Order: sequence, then C-alpha cells, then structure tokens
Amino acid sequence: MSKQGRDRLPRITRRESLKWFGMVLAGNALTPYPADAAASVVVGDDHWPMLKLAPVTAPGYGQDPDLVAMTAGPWPRTLSAGELDIVRLVAGILVPREGDVPSAAELQVEDVVDEWVSAPYEAQQRDRVPIVSLLIWLDAESERRFDQRFVDATDAQRVAIIDDIAWLDAQEIYRRPAQAFDRLRSVIVAAFYCTPEGSADLGYLGGKAIAGDYPGPTAEALRHLAGVLASLGLEAWVDPAAG
Amino acid sequence: MAAEHPDVVVVGSGAGGAMAAYVLTQAGHRVLMLEAGRDYDPKTETPMFQTSADAPLLGAGTPDKNFGYFDATVDGGWQVPGEPYTTAEGSEFLWWRSRMLGGRTNHWGRYSLRFSEHDFKGYSRDGLGADWPFDYEELAPWYDRTEALVGVCGANTGHPDMPDSSPGVLQPPPKARVPELLIAAAAQKLGIAAAPMHRAVLTRPLDDRAPCFWATPCGHGCSIGAAFQTTTSLLPLARKTGLLTIRTDAMVSAVDVDAHGKVTAVRYVNRKTGKTESVSGRAVVLAASACESARILLNSRNERFPNGVANSSGQVGRNLMDSTGAGLGAMIPALVGRPRYNEDGHTANHIFIPWWGHEQQAKGELDFPRGYHLEIGSGFDAPNAWTGAGVQGYGTALKRRVRETYGAGVYFALRGEMLPNRDCYMDIDDDVRDKWGIPVPRFHWRWAEHELNQVAHGLTTMKALIETMGGEAPALPSPEAAIRKGGEIIHEVGTTRMGTSRKDSVTDQWGKAWDLSNLYVTDGGVFASNPHKNCTLTLMTLAMRNADYLAGELTKGAA
Ligand SMILES: Cc1cc2nc3c(=O)[nH]c(=O)nc-3n(C[C@H](O)[C@H](O)[C@H](O)COP(=O)(O)OP(=O)(O)OC[C@H]3O[C@@H](n4cnc5c(N)ncnc54)[C@H](O)[C@@H]3O)c2cc1C
Ligand code: SF4
Repeated sequence: MSKQGRDRLPRITRRESLKWFGMVLAGNALTPYPADAAASVVVGDDHWPMLKLAPVTAPGYGQDPDLVAMTAGPWPRTLSAGELDIVRLVAGILVPREGDVPSAAELQVEDVVDEWVSAPYEAQQRDRVPIVSLLIWLDAESERRFDQRFVDATDAQRVAIIDDIAWLDAQEIYRRPAQAFDRLRSVIVAAFYCTPEGSADLGYLGGKAIAGDYPGPTAEALRHLAGVLASLGLEAWVDPAAG
Repeated sequence: MAAEHPDVVVVGSGAGGAMAAYVLTQAGHRVLMLEAGRDYDPKTETPMFQTSADAPLLGAGTPDKNFGYFDATVDGGWQVPGEPYTTAEGSEFLWWRSRMLGGRTNHWGRYSLRFSEHDFKGYSRDGLGADWPFDYEELAPWYDRTEALVGVCGANTGHPDMPDSSPGVLQPPPKARVPELLIAAAAQKLGIAAAPMHRAVLTRPLDDRAPCFWATPCGHGCSIGAAFQTTTSLLPLARKTGLLTIRTDAMVSAVDVDAHGKVTAVRYVNRKTGKTESVSGRAVVLAASACESARILLNSRNERFPNGVANSSGQVGRNLMDSTGAGLGAMIPALVGRPRYNEDGHTANHIFIPWWGHEQQAKGELDFPRGYHLEIGSGFDAPNAWTGAGVQGYGTALKRRVRETYGAGVYFALRGEMLPNRDCYMDIDDDVRDKWGIPVPRFHWRWAEHELNQVAHGLTTMKALIETMGGEAPALPSPEAAIRKGGEIIHEVGTTRMGTSRKDSVTDQWGKAWDLSNLYVTDGGVFASNPHKNCTLTLMTLAMRNADYLAGELTKGAA
C-alpha cells in the first residue's frame, strides 16, 4: 500500500470490520452460497473481501442451443436482491440518463450482470469473484466513509466512491476495487450499448435490410475521409467497386 | 433407391462432399451421402436479425459456442462432445469441427481467392515443399465454373497474386468502407496494392438464392442463401435430381478393402442407435475434412494394410498444413468521431491486401519463401459484448469516449502460407477412442523458421501501415509469441496429398488413391501445398474437377 493511500484511508476499526462482516452475511442471505462466502471473508488493509464462492455447477446452454428461440442463459441467477440494487445504482452512475437517452439502470442492465456472473463458464466465473467482491466492498466503503450502506448514501457520496475506483491507475489502496470495477463496467457498458436505445446512442446504423447494391460511405463520410487523407499526406485509393 | 444401390458413397456434406455429390448427380449417378452431423436447415434455424441483446451473455463466445452464441456451428467448435483428439507432447494444435449437414460451410468466412500461377509450382521455384501435379492454366476453367456455381463477388484487377476470372464470372463487389479506403491509401503510400476481396456472397440472384441484403452477420448462417453454404445451394440442387440420398447421424469409421485394392464397404456408426452399419457403392468419395478423411484411412488398417489403407507411400496424415496467423491492431486518431453511416455491407472485408512480394522473393530479398495476405478488421460494428471494452472512467465522459472511438480501431490479420515439414503431421492415438469406439487422431506440430520469419515481416508491415495512418502501433511481440497455434486458422490441408508419383503422394491428380481402384478424396487432404489464399475455393474447384473425372469413369464403366 502506498503511503498516500494509507494516510488517506483511516484503518478499519475492529468495530467497523465486525459490523461489515455481519453485513456481508445479511447481504448474502438470499444467495445460494452465504455460509461458504462468509466463511472465507478476510479483511485486508484495503478491506477487500477474499471470497471463495461455491462454484456454479448449473449446466450451460450446450453446443446445440435453439439459436432462434433462446434469448437468455438457462442457468439460475445468483445475485441477491441487495446486490442487484447496488448493480443498478452503479449502472446509473456509469451510464447516466442524457436527455432522451435512458440510463443503463433504466434499461435493466443488472439482469445481464446477473446472467453474466451466474453463468457456469470459466470466463464469467473468473469475473464473478471480483464483481461480487466489489459489491460487498462498495457497501463496506460506504459504511466506512459515510456510515451508511451504498443504497442509503446520497448520489454525490456514491459518485465520490466510484470516482476513486474508475481508473485502472487508481491509488494503490483502490487497485483491487478498480480492477473489479473495470470488469463490472465492461459488462454494464456493453449491455447498455446492446439495447436498442444504447445502439442508437452509439450511432450504429446497420442491421437493416437494403435492396440493391450496398450504398457505401455517404458523401459526408467521404468528405471527412478526404480531410483525413489530406492531413496524413495520403493519396486517395481508387476503389474499383466504386465505379 | 439411391440409398440401396448407390453408384457412389460420399462421406461428408461440407465443401468437398457436397460439390462431389452435385457433380455426380448432375451427371446422372446415384449418390448416397453419409454425414456424421445432424440434419440442419438454415431456412428455419438461422438467427438472422437477432442482436447481441437477444443472446445469452450478449452473444459472447463460451466453451459451448466458441465463436459466439449465434455462430452457426452445431455440436462443435474446438471440441466436439464425446469426440476428443490428442496432441503429442510439446505440440499444440486446434481442430475445428462441426457436426451438422453442410459441415463448416454453414459458418465459414466465405473468403474465396484463387491460387495463382506461383502457387502450383513452388517446389520447382525454390526447392521447398511439393509441386502440384498441374499448373494454374489447367485449373483456370474449373475455377470459372466453381465461382459461377458457388457465386463469388469480387473484381478482376490484374493484381499479380490474383488471377482474373473470365469475364462475367464474378458478381460485382460491394464498395469499400471508410477505414478500408484509409488502409488502402496507406498501403499505396508503402507501395502495396489493396484489392477488392473475393467472397462467396451473392450480389446478384442465383438459382433459388437471393442476393445479400447487407445486414446480418454471415457467421450465423444465411437463410436467404446469399452467403454460400452447401445446405442452401449444392445440396438442394443435387437433391432436385432425385439421385441424392443423404443419411445424417452416420459417423464413418473405416472402409473395407479387398485383395484387389477395391473398397467393398464403408462402415459407419449410426449415431442414433449406436450400431455399426455398412454400405457399398461402385466408388467411394472421402470428404470428411482433411484430418477426418486421413483418420478414416488410417483406422481402416488390417493385417494386409497395417499402416492403414491407401498408405503405401506412408504419406497419409503427413504434410499437415494450416495457414499462419498473426494480428495487430490500433486506434487511429484520425478516425475518432468520424461521421456515421451504415458499414455493415456483407459483414466481412470488402477489400484486403493481397501478397505483394513475389518479385522480392524471386530476387532473394526476403528471408522467407512464401507469401501472406492481410485481412482487415474495422468499421461501425453492431454493438456486442466487447463494445466499450477498455474505456475507463464513468458517466457522460465515458459515454463520449465510447462514442468517439466507435469505428476508429483497425486490426490486421495475417494469413500466410506454411511449408509442409516433418514435425507437422497426424497419426492415430491408440490409447484414446471417441464415444463411438473409434480411435482418435493425435496431432504433432512445430512451426519452422520460414513461418516465423514470415510472421515477423508481417508484423513489421502491419506496424508500418498503422503508423502511416497516424496510429501508434503497440510494441511488436516476437513472432514466436504472435503466431497462432497450428490449426487455429482452420485451413488444415495436406494429409492425403496429391502428386505425380505413388511414392511420395497418396492420390493422383484426380484425387484417386494410388493404391485403391475406386476411392477418391475431395477435401483439403489432397492439397500439395497450402498457399496463403484461404483454401476452400480451391478445395471446391478440385472437388468439381475430380468428381467430373470420376463421373466420366463411372459412365465408361471403369470404376
Ligand atoms: C469460422 C471459420 C471461418 C472460415 N473461413 C474461411 C474462409 O473465409 N475461406 C476459406 O477458404 N475457408 C474458411 N474456413 C475453412 C472452411 O470452412 C473449410 O476449409 C471447409 O469447410 C472444408 O471443407 P470440407 O468439406 O473438407 O470439410 P467440412 O466443411 O468441415 O465438411 C466435412 C463434413 O464431414 C462430416 N464428417 C466428418 N467426419 C465424418 C465421418 N467420420 N463420417 C461422416 N461424416 C463426417 C462433418 O460433420 C462435416 O459435415 C473457415 C472455417 C471456419 C470454421
Ligand atoms: S450479410 Fe448478406 S450474405 Fe451475409 S448473412 Fe447477411 S444477407 Fe447473407
């Protein structure tokens, strides 16, 4: 831990850590792995929980799923209602509403996060431990800073925590939460842009059948390209297909 | 009727098997096709307009669906349930299979480049590998016929590495997209010519097949038949003759050969009952894919043929080749925030960079003997599980960054020729059987210096292209770290190679086994070399030519 980090973060007192320990138990009471998770909680200097979750053993969708009919993984979901609340709040901070474009929270991306961390596949299981740990950490951090759980904190308080873990070069003390946040962010952001609203916000204009030949770049896009070529000192290539 | 007394038993319904069945049935011969996989109907089973949001895990690849949820592969990928393969100690090899009617043609990339004159006589030129038993001129009319039947879009440009098709054969190619035009301009500055990609995708109607409507990823399959797959083209056409019977769930294990070197029966496991059955025909065509056909021949060993049948040369399973693969990508600042438009096109490369170094190689200026081409990853892709990956921060600033960088990345994928070498081959692992009781292949693999030097050259070229576009290329990995695993590019060929002598090849120029009077191979096993141009168009061209020869032999009563 860097000196700066140690100075900034008051050490967790025994009382606080016990309180947090109890909270973890309560928070996980509805999930299938509470006893196991609780048994393996370790409090480090950065109070990062060391979870050892019972592995998800549900079957995957197999190598011949119905590609047309199945739209979500068939495995049981594992996040508790409390954890989903935290994910929803984080989603709202990560991708907030902008004008007419809804926030990720309004688009229920927490369902994708739940599907993701509950999936029986190796890559998703690798994401599960840091993501679930992060949800626990966010609550503990909120308790530590503001003496209330993440869901009860103010928007500004929640943003203050997220701001500390939103970059991979976060202070040493926030490294593990920042790495976990990076994984959670990638699922939430992708889930948002995969919705029709997110896709439109990104500016994806495909996915529509076109009769006749492919129209190619618009005049505006070609004008922009001409500027790019000029700025790079490149001569335009003549596309035989543009005829 | 065809099922009871077929003229020909064809094993496999993918690129090679379907082409053989098409040609044979058009010529009036009865064909029984044995296909290990299940029946598959792209018209009803293809997720066409589904988006990533309609898939589990946003469509991300998993051990069940390696190339993403919607990829058309059935019961396959890098592993097939209950049907393992092994690798020798110190070797890494990946073997992509699917268990479905149409095989891997349901989800292949459809890149369809002709081999050029350089490619057929490599050994004569540089003393490496093996020559083919014919030259480009012999194959040119067959390429024309195959392209016309399959439906290939592209353009004749006179590029030295891309022989022209006869006039009217190619369908018009789609226009290039903005990042492709930028790459082509950057390549031009480096003295390298880009060219329209050739792809087995219709841009004009053909038979019952509609032209591409530029909207849905071809790897999912194409229910309208625009992207070539045998299940919407060759197989329905062959069925229309009334001479083709297809038996799916029929996993061929071996062929029986009599004392005269004639195949008398094809044995297979009925995957539904688990029982072994057998059929016979006047001739047998193996097209189960290069490694699977070699496996069948090796597993057909008996007292008379302890090393497997058709193997007096000892070459069955040898000369296993894949394409080399490596890649490099970067963000191009000049493309950040560029104007939006629909860049779906036919959802793969509209242009690419063909090999430009034949002259340099002839002059001895390069430290690797065979060429490569560069495929391109770019564009305003449909949102997916990786959209926004790597962007940090949160809130409106994060959204702005995702929007700005959308469509600003480019990625180059090298696909190169490898030479056959003594360390790359497959044999049978007698200790491991699949769930049908059939001994499995074991792969041996080691890249040679030729390939590593080629990849090093490719990485340097990709870096130069990125920098010419004003991008910052990542630090170059070593070629050993960059080169993909054997088999990973899924262009495996050479295991039953053709040649002019029975001493060092398995088949003659018609794909007919030297040692057997009525057994032909029409998959990539027959390749004498593996030029960098993706193998399947040539595979189908050879299958057409060689099935045409077989049809003639059957008509004459010679087979
Ligand atoms: C994702 C992907 C992208 C690709 N992109 C390109 C590309 O852009 N360009 C290109 O040229 N190539 C590409 N390829 C390679 C191309 O798919 C193959 O070269 C081609 O399909 C090989 O044809 P084949 O007939 O030998 O084998 P397959 O098409 O695999 O067909 C073989 C068939 O035989 C069946 N079979 C196997 N074993 C048995 C048995 N024992 N008994 C009965 N049946 C059996 C299989 O189930 C299968 O249906 C790609 C492949 C993949 C997977
Ligand atoms: S892009 Fe065109 S060819 Fe490819 S699947 Fe869609 S319609 Fe078919």
